[in-house]
Amino acid sequence: MSSWAEGQACKLDYPIYVRLFSDDDREQATKVAAEVQNLLRADNDLSLYNFYVTQDDSNATIAMDALHSVQHTSYETVEHREHHLTVSIKEDLNVKATEASLWSWVPLLEVRHSPGKSADPATLAPFISQEIRKIFREEQGTISSMVDETAFTTHRPAGQLSPEARATLDGKKTRAFKYASDYHLTFSMFTSSATPSSWDIEGALENTINPLIARFSSISKFTVDTQVQLYASFSPSIAGPLYDESTREWQLQRSDLSGFINAAEWPLSPGIGAGPTINFVLFVPSKDQSPLVIAETGGNSWLIPQWGGVQILNPSGKQPERLSASDLEPVMLTFADQLSSLLGLPSSPPSLALRISSLTRERATSIIISASSTLGALARLTLKLKSIAIPESVAKSVDQTIHHLDQACRGLQSGQYHEALENARTAEEEAEQAFFEPSMVGQVYFPDEHKVAVYVPLLGPMAVPLIMALAKELREFIKKLREKRSGKAKDE
Amino acid sequence: MKLLNLPAALLALLPLINPGIALPSNNYTEHLHLRPLPGGSLYAGFSFTSTTPLSSYVANNFRYFPRALAQILQYTHTAELHLRFALGRWDDESWGSRPRDGLREGGNGVELWAWLENGGDGAKVEGEEARAAEERWSDLVNSLSGLFCASLNFVDSGKTIQPVLSFSPEGTLEAGQQTRTNFTGEKQGEKQGELRLLHGMLPHEVVCTENLTPFLKLLPCKGKAGISSLLDGHKLFDANWQTMSVDVLPVCHDGECELEIQQTVDMVLDVERSMRPRESPIPRPLPMEDILCDEDKSYSGHDTCYPKHFDGEMEWSLERIFGRPIRGSCPLSTATSDDFDVTLEVPADRNIQVLAEAAVPQQSPANSLIRHYKLPEGKDFDLFLPQQPQNPSEPQQLPLEQPPLYVSRQMTGYGAERGGMHTLIRNPHPYSQRVVYLESLPWFLRPYMHTLKVSGNGRLKNMYYTPLIDRKRGTQLELLLEIPAESTVELTYDFEKAILRYTEYPPDANRGFDIPAAVVRVLPTQGEEGQGQYLRTTSLLLPLPTPDFSMPYNVIILTSTVIALGFGSVFNLLVRRFVLADEVPVSPLAGLVGRVKERIGELKAKLKGSAEVGEGVERKKAANGGPREAVGDGSVRKKK
Repeated sequence: MSSWAEGQACKLDYPIYVRLFSDDDREQATKVAAEVQNLLRADNDLSLYNFYVTQDDSNATIAMDALHSVQHTSYETVEHREHHLTVSIKEDLNVKATEASLWSWVPLLEVRHSPGKSADPATLAPFISQEIRKIFREEQGTISSMVDETAFTTHRPAGQLSPEARATLDGKKTRAFKYASDYHLTFSMFTSSATPSSWDIEGALENTINPLIARFSSISKFTVDTQVQLYASFSPSIAGPLYDESTREWQLQRSDLSGFINAAEWPLSPGIGAGPTINFVLFVPSKDQSPLVIAETGGNSWLIPQWGGVQILNPSGKQPERLSASDLEPVMLTFADQLSSLLGLPSSPPSLALRISSLTRERATSIIISASSTLGALARLTLKLKSIAIPESVAKSVDQTIHHLDQACRGLQSGQYHEALENARTAEEEAEQAFFEPSMVGQVYFPDEHKVAVYVPLLGPMAVPLIMALAKELREFIKKLREKRSGKAKDE
Repeated sequence: MKLLNLPAALLALLPLINPGIALPSNNYTEHLHLRPLPGGSLYAGFSFTSTTPLSSYVANNFRYFPRALAQILQYTHTAELHLRFALGRWDDESWGSRPRDGLREGGNGVELWAWLENGGDGAKVEGEEARAAEERWSDLVNSLSGLFCASLNFVDSGKTIQPVLSFSPEGTLEAGQQTRTNFTGEKQGEKQGELRLLHGMLPHEVVCTENLTPFLKLLPCKGKAGISSLLDGHKLFDANWQTMSVDVLPVCHDGECELEIQQTVDMVLDVERSMRPRESPIPRPLPMEDILCDEDKSYSGHDTCYPKHFDGEMEWSLERIFGRPIRGSCPLSTATSDDFDVTLEVPADRNIQVLAEAAVPQQSPANSLIRHYKLPEGKDFDLFLPQQPQNPSEPQQLPLEQPPLYVSRQMTGYGAERGGMHTLIRNPHPYSQRVVYLESLPWFLRPYMHTLKVSGNGRLKNMYYTPLIDRKRGTQLELLLEIPAESTVELTYDFEKAILRYTEYPPDANRGFDIPAAVVRVLPTQGEEGQGQYLRTTSLLLPLPTPDFSMPYNVIILTSTVIALGFGSVFNLLVRRFVLADEVPVSPLAGLVGRVKERIGELKAKLKGSAEVGEGVERKKAANGGPREAVGDGSVRKKK
């Protein structure tokens, strides 16, 4: 148990397998691959990773076509391949300087270079390694800051984080939900008055949210529900919007945003099943308080950390009875954006596929760390409270935790990040279950005072003759002592 | 003929609304029925109905159907749900038959019954299905408890029964279940989990505003517009009788299914008490100028008089009774122009003033006691009925419909050990009726079934009885009875009171334990459709032998004392040294006593010496006695 808590049981290691396609001849490509690998491994900024760059014999164009076709199928099929990143090198007559672009749906870095000199490994390899470095830089920062605060830290040269970078990381961490395998999304429309009273939410979800959550399905599963609530009043804890004469707008003060959700009256109860609920609230103000904007910034949406997102929709013109899918399109795009940051998706690189795989690694790491620290806490607790009885189920859970942590660690080290995540999550669940075992929690609070209260009426009266006898004996003893002394004095 | 028209009107409405719409869609309607009752009471019945197509229910897109409730129902696989919060007693004798045929009424406290799906997927082992259903039931009561802020979580296995005859599903359960399966795309053709009816009652629960607030939150208009704007906890829970209900049922027509949620609030308000201003709720005498004096009776003082008894119709208005007018119509209501929001039932000659800022469509069918009103949108609406003397020639009264039966239940017997239950069922009608009598008794009331007697001409046709198991299951008693025309049937049995464990008593143990109301279902006569009619008795208080709760501590103290005494004497016997009387050292206390006595003797002697001059003979005697005493005292001390 404690070897995990002390971070000795697992060395966090992240092998990254990169595959290289090239239109160039094989020898050249092998050279480039070897050079890129050397450069990446030597890079201090990417010290967490172990790069393995291999050259693939198949023709780049054909391979890319194959990759292109998976764009439309499930993401999982791509991810389960052995390679975390594919680099394709192409000769292009139209480009002057070498340029690189990332694909959004598949982890592919496309490098185009002009024919001739730029195909030389000596210039191409540094360029590619630089591009790859860009991809992994943010993730490296996040993971190393995560690891640094724990026992898992190794004395690698720490990624020099500027205070600003640290602040953004912290912000990201407080915003995002704790990882769960199931999330529940609730989209609610709150209307101050009676209109609009319906929305084409199914169509709107179909276009924006569903594709996004389909991509996430390799990490977490999502259930969605929607509701419409009318006559929603502002929370009594906020001052309410103020009318600004100059802009002719109703303005919500910045301080009001955190208390905007009227928890007492708005039915935003979390879902019943497993997993946390992420709320998205679309607020339509009444006609006489429209347009409603946030003071100073003039914005209309904000994010509530670990709870969800809020957006104000000011219908243009007359209040419609029903909001159409096209009305909702911008709203849903904002919600999609908020959803990704609530799930902790990193902001770079631009490719969604790479961001998701980076999120997988981050999540797996953080769960391994938190499960280990829970184990450590449990170990400390049992050592501290000797009288606590540990049920069989706790022992079993601890065994399971350790087993799954081992698996997760092995998954990480072999580059099977999804497996690692899955195992880490099971491990954490088991660890939490062991720690919060109800029968143990109850025992922690059993006070000794109760026993005292019951035994005092018995022990009190019993102590009286004992003390009296003791006093008497003492007196006798002193008296005898005195007599002896006086006897001695007489003798002398 | 149909005199209290509400149930009839409502029942007639339901089939009208549903088949009229070809495609299942989101619908919402609401209705308020007002009717003055004898004895200065006013019946107000609110009903709210919303529907959602089963397809969007399964897809989790909610518009009028409350999401919070839907989630619970989906999670617990509940097909049909009935929840009741009730307070007070419906006075059959003076108010006539119950509204909505008693279908939307509950026993005092909270009552809940639901049809849950058994664990459908291959629960082959006998008993496993039941366990799955019980788990779902437990999930259901716990979640509803959170949703409605009620202690429903106390409905445990000891309070749950599975009635056989008393309830039948109101919705089209099987078709609904089938359709739902189609939508969710579960394995087709596989046998669906069968439905199981579970029923629980909490007579001890006090229904109050914290239950009304979540109830209003389920409504699309949230009590901010429409008739629900009248609902205010202060007035509702001040009523003589009130019941709130939530019913969810699937309704299918030609393969098109929708889920319907019906919410009702029925209450009987004391008009005079409700109209008391909120600032001074305590009745105070009116100033002399405002009292209408009865000049026929003379009163000695000049500052007061006998008030004139007013025997006409009382003055009232919605705003004065409920504290506010109706704040316009709920704009979501999909009622067509033929449907009216408010129905008032008063004698035809009663003056009514409609106070509204906009024109109010109204209708009063000829020769009818009913008037209908449609609420204006966005404008306040109020009904004002002025004071009106009764027409002496032909006093118009609203006729009362006689209830199907009169039922009352009492406890008999005395002492803390045994008791008896005594139920009277009276059929006032000239035809015999079949009824189902359901009792759900807690385990600490142990009925002796051999003493069960049905006297009168009643016939016991059938009986379902589940005996109790201590602390696990209560008694379930279901009797199918035939009550002959115009007769009274008496149902009695004896019971024994169990002795509870020390920790099983509630904090207010001496108050007694609530016994849930008995449910009486009057079965529809042959050829008649529907559920029949329901009546509920009041709940009863059962005093159980209550221990003195300081007893354990007394016992601890007493035993401790006895043990300590025993220990002390044994200990003393063991450690004490036995010596001869001469060897006993003079205790310092004994010396002190001796000195005090000596001093007293000296004092006495002195006194005698001063009295010597006056009393010769006595002085001599005393002088002789004094020294003797002193000597004796001295000898005693010497011995020691």
